[in-house]
Amino acid sequence: MNRSRAPILKLGETLIASVQEALMDADLVGLRDELVAEVKKYRATCVIIDVTVLDVLDSFAARTLRHIAQMTQLLGARTVIVGIQPDVAFAMVQLGLTLEGTETALDLEDALSRLKIRVGRERSAQ
Amino acid sequence: MANHETLPAETSISREEVLRRKAFLEFTEDDVAVLEGVNDLATQYAESMIEDFYKHLMAFEETRTFFADPELLRHVKEMQKAYFMRLTQGHYDQEYVANRIRIGQVHEHVGLPVKSYFGMYCFYLRAVLKRLREEYGEAPEQAFAIFNSLMKLTFFDIGLAIDTYIESRERTIEGQQEAIRELSTPVLLLRPGLLLLPIIGLIDTRRARQLTEQLLRSVRTNRAAVVVIDVTGVPSVDTKVANHLVQTVEAARLMGAVSIVSGIAPDIAQTMVRLGIDLRRIRTVGDLQSGIEEAERLLGYRVVKERPADGQGEKEGP
Amino acid sequence: MNAVLNELNVPIRSEADLVTARLRGREIASTLKFSSSELTLIATAISEVTRNILSYAGSGDLDLRLVRQGQKVGISIVARDRGPGIADLFSAMQDGYSTSGSLGLGLPGSKRLMDEFDLASEVGKGTTVTMTKWKM
Repeated sequence: MNRSRAPILKLGETLIASVQEALMDADLVGLRDELVAEVKKYRATCVIIDVTVLDVLDSFAARTLRHIAQMTQLLGARTVIVGIQPDVAFAMVQLGLTLEGTETALDLEDALSRLKIRVGRERSAQ
Repeated sequence: MANHETLPAETSISREEVLRRKAFLEFTEDDVAVLEGVNDLATQYAESMIEDFYKHLMAFEETRTFFADPELLRHVKEMQKAYFMRLTQGHYDQEYVANRIRIGQVHEHVGLPVKSYFGMYCFYLRAVLKRLREEYGEAPEQAFAIFNSLMKLTFFDIGLAIDTYIESRERTIEGQQEAIRELSTPVLLLRPGLLLLPIIGLIDTRRARQLTEQLLRSVRTNRAAVVVIDVTGVPSVDTKVANHLVQTVEAARLMGAVSIVSGIAPDIAQTMVRLGIDLRRIRTVGDLQSGIEEAERLLGYRVVKERPADGQGEKEGP
Repeated sequence: MNAVLNELNVPIRSEADLVTARLRGREIASTLKFSSSELTLIATAISEVTRNILSYAGSGDLDLRLVRQGQKVGISIVARDRGPGIADLFSAMQDGYSTSGSLGLGLPGSKRLMDEFDLASEVGKGTTVTMTKWKM
């Protein structure tokens, strides 16, 4: 199970998976399965995957991220990949990986503001 | 070894390289023996050789200027004598090579032209030849053998010296290129979240990479959401450059930033279409102004003119 | 020919070795003072060729070498396996070609990441990828 390497947090209708260390292929596949199951279970509308810590995103990782985006889309949730580092983005495009059709954002904060999820305001309104 | 370390990395020549150079010159142990054999002779005529040598140098304006100071002249004569004597002292090893490279660096540093350097070596060889003929008048074969060995070693030295000249020039050029590249890739923060990358001049692969890297770093540090890449100042675009542009746009998107390319000249537009560059992946606008307006719109800014510009405002004032 | 300044072997037996290979590659390449983006390109290329070994041959070896050619230095990566080999070398170097269900960007993509790239393979004997990145 990938729980320790990429824990999934639930924030309203949003699921946030933050990768904690270099993932092995099995971890990524585990994360994919887990996310798809949780989107269904919690009727989530958004998925944010934070890959800030990854110093390499190769073709397998990119493919898995795209699959997650496509699968969650089918379940009615949009996926945003956040935190791709400058060097990693540079290497990815050289390799030919552009995550076409997948949403991206600078970091978690950026993604939350784009998804119009305002944690603070929600709380103060209650 | 410690000495070896202090040399610039480019000029440190490995043991293998020294062997390769000697092999190419066919400089063998026989040559070493021949040269060592004439050490006594060289000691005898070193003094007069060096005097002739500087007489020659002082006869020409271009070389004279380097030795105008008599104190300096005395010093370089000493150095020259040491250099000359070293030619017949054997042990043409790493330490010898390091010494020769240092001498080359000194001459390069004071700005002695390469042509003078070659001329000096030519004079050296001719002067030695003259003395060998005097010494071995009865045995020309022997004189020829000595000269042959000396010529190989001299060319070995010349090779090392000229390398220091070339490397120094390369370092200078490299440094200048680096400076130019850095000057030519400013990434400007126009508003919070809005970056402008004006590209001016020709782009080669190396510069394109640098542009991309710099832009991506700026996206992160400035938390930019929109980037305007203005190519008004780019005179021509080939497949490579166009692909770099597409890659830059895509890399920025992976970081969550939208790119707008502005100022594509009509002939560049033609080239890009003819080259089959996939333009659907690039958001383009005609000029820089439209680019910035589009960016502001994307960021949710609305620019409103509150009052007439300053110049006109003053006229209407009290 | 390139003179080898330093060499490190990483046996590729399981998926865990993929992470090790990338890490070792970064470590050894950083001794040549490659820029951080170049180090990422190198690590990504290592990831792709190592993945190739794992998915087609199951196991193999990765040799990481610091090399010198004349005045320039660089890192040479040799990925060797004794797997089934590649029957169609031309197709293997085309974007999108894959017999394993992957994106098929591994080999042609790695070629784009590095400066030199060579693929040698014999059906039934195995595959060797040799790729080099020079320090600019």
